[in-house]
Amino acid sequence: MTRRSAFVAVCLLFVAALSSEVSADGLVNEDVKRTVDLSTHLAKITAEIVLSNHGQSSVQSFILAVDADLAPHMAYIGASVKGDEEEHGTLELQQTSIQGQRGEFYKVLLPSTLAAGAQLKVKTEMMFSHVLKPFPTQITQAERQLVVFQGNHYLYSPYPTRSQTTRVRLASKTVESYTKLGNPSKTDEIIEYGPFRDVAPFSEDALKIHYENNTPFLTITSITRTIEVSHWGNIAVEETIDLRHTGAILKGPFSRYDYQRQSDSGISSVKSFKTILPASAQDVYYRDEIGNISTSHLQVLDDSVEVEVRPRFPLFGGWKTHYIIGYNLPSYEYLYTLGEQYALKMRLVDHVYDDQVIDYMTVKIILPEGAKNIHVDTPYKIDRMPNQLHYTYLDTFGRPVLVATKNNLVEQHIQDFVVHYTFNKILMLQEPLLVVGAFYILFFTVIIYVRLDFAITKDPAAEVRMKVASITEQVLTLVNRRLGLYRHMDEVVNRYKQSRDTGALNSGRKTLEADHRTLTSEISSLQARLKTEGSDLAEKVGEIQKLDGQVKELVCRSCSEAERLVGGKVKKETYIESEKSLTSRRQELISRIDSLLDAL
Amino acid sequence: MVTAGLIHYILNLLHVTVHIRDVCVFLAPVFSGLTAISTFLLTRELWNQGAGLLAACFIAIVPGYISRSVAGSFDNEGIAIFALQFTYYLWVSASPPPLPGYSLPIFLSCIILLLVNFFPFILFLVSAWGGYVFIINLIPLHVFALLLMQRYSRRVYIGVFALLQAYAFLQYLKDRLTRQEFQTLFFLGISLAACIVFLTVIYLTYTGLSTSPSLHRCRSTSRPRGCPSSLISTSWSAPSQQAFGFASRTSMMNACLAGKVRKHVSEQEKAEEGLGPNIKSIVTMLMLMLLMMFAVHCTWVTSNAYSSPSVVLASYNHDGTRNILDDFREAYYWLRQNTDEHARVMSWWDYGYQIAGMANRTTLVDNNTWNNSHIALVGKAMSSNESAAYEIMRSLDVDYVLIIFGGVIGYSGDDINKFLWMVRIAEGEHPKDIRESDYFTPQGEFRVDKAGSPTLLNCLMYKMSYYRFGEMQLDFRTPPGFDRTRNAEIGNKDIKFKHLEEAFTSEHWLVRIYKVKKLENREALDHKLRSVVSRQKYTSKKVSVFPLRRDGFSCSLSFMMLSTTYSKTPQKIKTALNSRERKETSNNQ
Repeated sequence: MTRRSAFVAVCLLFVAALSSEVSADGLVNEDVKRTVDLSTHLAKITAEIVLSNHGQSSVQSFILAVDADLAPHMAYIGASVKGDEEEHGTLELQQTSIQGQRGEFYKVLLPSTLAAGAQLKVKTEMMFSHVLKPFPTQITQAERQLVVFQGNHYLYSPYPTRSQTTRVRLASKTVESYTKLGNPSKTDEIIEYGPFRDVAPFSEDALKIHYENNTPFLTITSITRTIEVSHWGNIAVEETIDLRHTGAILKGPFSRYDYQRQSDSGISSVKSFKTILPASAQDVYYRDEIGNISTSHLQVLDDSVEVEVRPRFPLFGGWKTHYIIGYNLPSYEYLYTLGEQYALKMRLVDHVYDDQVIDYMTVKIILPEGAKNIHVDTPYKIDRMPNQLHYTYLDTFGRPVLVATKNNLVEQHIQDFVVHYTFNKILMLQEPLLVVGAFYILFFTVIIYVRLDFAITKDPAAEVRMKVASITEQVLTLVNRRLGLYRHMDEVVNRYKQSRDTGALNSGRKTLEADHRTLTSEISSLQARLKTEGSDLAEKVGEIQKLDGQVKELVCRSCSEAERLVGGKVKKETYIESEKSLTSRRQELISRIDSLLDAL
Repeated sequence: MVTAGLIHYILNLLHVTVHIRDVCVFLAPVFSGLTAISTFLLTRELWNQGAGLLAACFIAIVPGYISRSVAGSFDNEGIAIFALQFTYYLWVSASPPPLPGYSLPIFLSCIILLLVNFFPFILFLVSAWGGYVFIINLIPLHVFALLLMQRYSRRVYIGVFALLQAYAFLQYLKDRLTRQEFQTLFFLGISLAACIVFLTVIYLTYTGLSTSPSLHRCRSTSRPRGCPSSLISTSWSAPSQQAFGFASRTSMMNACLAGKVRKHVSEQEKAEEGLGPNIKSIVTMLMLMLLMMFAVHCTWVTSNAYSSPSVVLASYNHDGTRNILDDFREAYYWLRQNTDEHARVMSWWDYGYQIAGMANRTTLVDNNTWNNSHIALVGKAMSSNESAAYEIMRSLDVDYVLIIFGGVIGYSGDDINKFLWMVRIAEGEHPKDIRESDYFTPQGEFRVDKAGSPTLLNCLMYKMSYYRFGEMQLDFRTPPGFDRTRNAEIGNKDIKFKHLEEAFTSEHWLVRIYKVKKLENREALDHKLRSVVSRQKYTSKKVSVFPLRRDGFSCSLSFMMLSTTYSKTPQKIKTALNSRERKETSNNQ
């Protein structure tokens, strides 16, 4: 018994604590100015609320409520403080729940405590997608598009409201019907409800407006945004977009004649729209599976690049299309680095068209190969998928790919994300080295291939020929070197004639003798090899040897002649005479050797 | 295709992430480069380096080969011609008496032969390439000629196995038999073989493989590398020209021959020293002029005939700016995005591949449809009136009909201009329903204006082409509904459809797509259903067993019930009939 009562007591305490948290903070909506903007295909509900604290203690936060019927369609919610100095501080939101009440609730954390009796002006903003339902759901080409919006006349709030007004902005003057709570006034495109006094907490009263809305009901059913970062200075962005006209579905035929000749035919259809790209976007392309889409225009402005995206065909209700748009960005604008640490700061989702709605988005960020310690900061909550690997040109172990998805995005989601990672700069050299290596291997293979003999059958004759050729090559060089020796000797002799240094002459003669002997023996060994190969060139080489002997003799004689001249044993004239004859004979012999060499 | 797949696979294995499409697009240009190299090698084998260079230049610009080697022409011929040329080269360099040490090429040539034999079988379904017949037939022919000339060597044995077996067998016989016996046997065999070869050639020539007289004939008497070379050039070129006269396919062979012929001319010039330098230079100039003109011609052909896409039309304004008419892709992409995935599209066969490729939808007939009756059925639907066409389209399960209409922009290749072919082909298969003469005026003219034949003015193709065109005034000088292609005001401006509706028309009306409506619910009967009264008395017991209703469903159902029961137990039904009869009579009483 006691246990049970204790349990009940705990329950009661808990409930009391809970209820005290909700109602005991004593907050009251003093004045609410609500605007329901239905002029596009989105419902944008903003409210300026003057909150006052009628409780005993100061409060840190207040609760923002979203109507239960609209909550599943909510794309964005935000709140900011509207101070006297017109400064807008965005506030942090945390989702909570309130027992026994329908709808979604967010706890808004105030920047400073709201003391008892104090007042605060806050501005809240909510965006809802797909809440304007086309009715009728199917229209012909000539008909106009009518939509229905269902909402709440009052601000849905956990606090009592003293006074509030609701202003509804429509897309056109034509309104089929609207709820008439409190005798609203209608001027052109605006319907004003209220003011309503002393509305109880959690009050709901169905607001229903049926009106004409021909604004483009475009929806991006899915978008895949790929950002590929290269440390060579480029960031490539590519968006693959599935687009659908989610307004009233086209019933019956599509007549090109009417569409071309009547200005109001197919008024709710979409011909083209503008996409705003970053100012530094280059090499923009716009294509689909079957190639470039030729119906687009690019305009480079000072602060942005505007692409007039025109699908291949006008989009009527229910029609869809698919395209790819991509561009390059210089990385210095988005990539920050400090040593090995890098930070990439870019938009998570970018502008596609004004008042865009994205049902499903996938973002892929491809970092350079070798990026490590990856850490992502996102401006709002997104669903991270496991990382993938991406292989492209010259990759070996793959580039890390961060993948994230999110549903139901609007323009307010165009915000920056930051990816931090570390990257070893040495890895930049990997790809060039890979190319160098590949070419090295290629050329090396070719070199080996050329050097090796892949013939299945051996050809002895060819081998002999090749051998002979290599031997004759050697003979040629040796003979030339031997002839060079003689020229060198001539110089020695000339120098001797001037300096009369017998020692130099003798040493010169000695080296000549020695070199000549080795060369001659080498040549004769080659000659012997030629003979064994059975080549008739051996005889020619023999002849060269014979002639060379004579040349050698002549050289020696001219040497001794010079000695005698220096010694004064002959007269100068006789020397010159004999020298002349010796030279001419030498010339003759050398030319004969040359002709033989040529014949080799 | 296998080659492209293999290249793509290997590249991707190496992380060179090329799209398979790019591989296919650039396959032909890459292989044409290889062809030029192998042509050079082949001609160098036959003559010398200079001739080889010239031959490579020729093959680079020969229009017949360019058509197969432009980027985007993905055909097996792109590879096959390279393989053919390379095989020729390897075979020539391998055949006796070659330079020593050329057995590797002969081994390679065997591999190439295998490949070339292998490719067409894999690619057979797409389009069989007849050219490989050259290689597998000409090499044995060449060997055969070699044998006749007693030039048998071991290398030939390595190269050509089968024929050599027979030859070796003959050698064996020669040892065993007496000389007389052998000779008779040999000549008998030879004449038999010759007959077969001769008859084959005759047969091939007869069955449409016509000869092409425009081809070069190389009557070379000089023998650059001994007998076999000239033997090759004559024995290979002659049959390839006479029997397998695919003119453009042999043109690459001629490219290398042309290089050779050119060389002859210059040789002759050298020989006739007496002509003097003036004539020599004139001849050289003329030759150069000819070559340059040929190069210009080839460039023109390449840029005009092979490199401009026919899907995107371009027009130029007065100030030189270009207008792109991308109507084809607009309509095809609409089909791709906004019709059911399994929708069937009826169009004339010309657009079959385009619809399959760009719109990704099923077509009834396409560019590779061999079944004439199929094409004729489509032609019949196009040339019948709407209700008859609807029957055909329903029986073919058609969801959309696509036509090309050039009347707005003056595009002359549209379906109305092709229409007579549809009529003729339809008449060929259905002469009772379609007659070509019905589509002409009594004077025998094909006109779309008021004077045109009523059959034409009410046929499906006409109605689809000109639906709502009668209201359209293109400029102020012409009346509404003025067809720019045929320069006539159309004759039937009041076109209404019962079974079709306009689904899409492209920006310049070039492509028009119509949706075939499904059968509507049956129209309400103008009289009441006959109420079934059980008291009704049947006069005839044989005719109706169960009371017949007006609608076919229950009628057929009852018939089915009857037939099944009847087939199972004839006795049962009799008793049932009897009991029913008895009941009725008792009720009447």
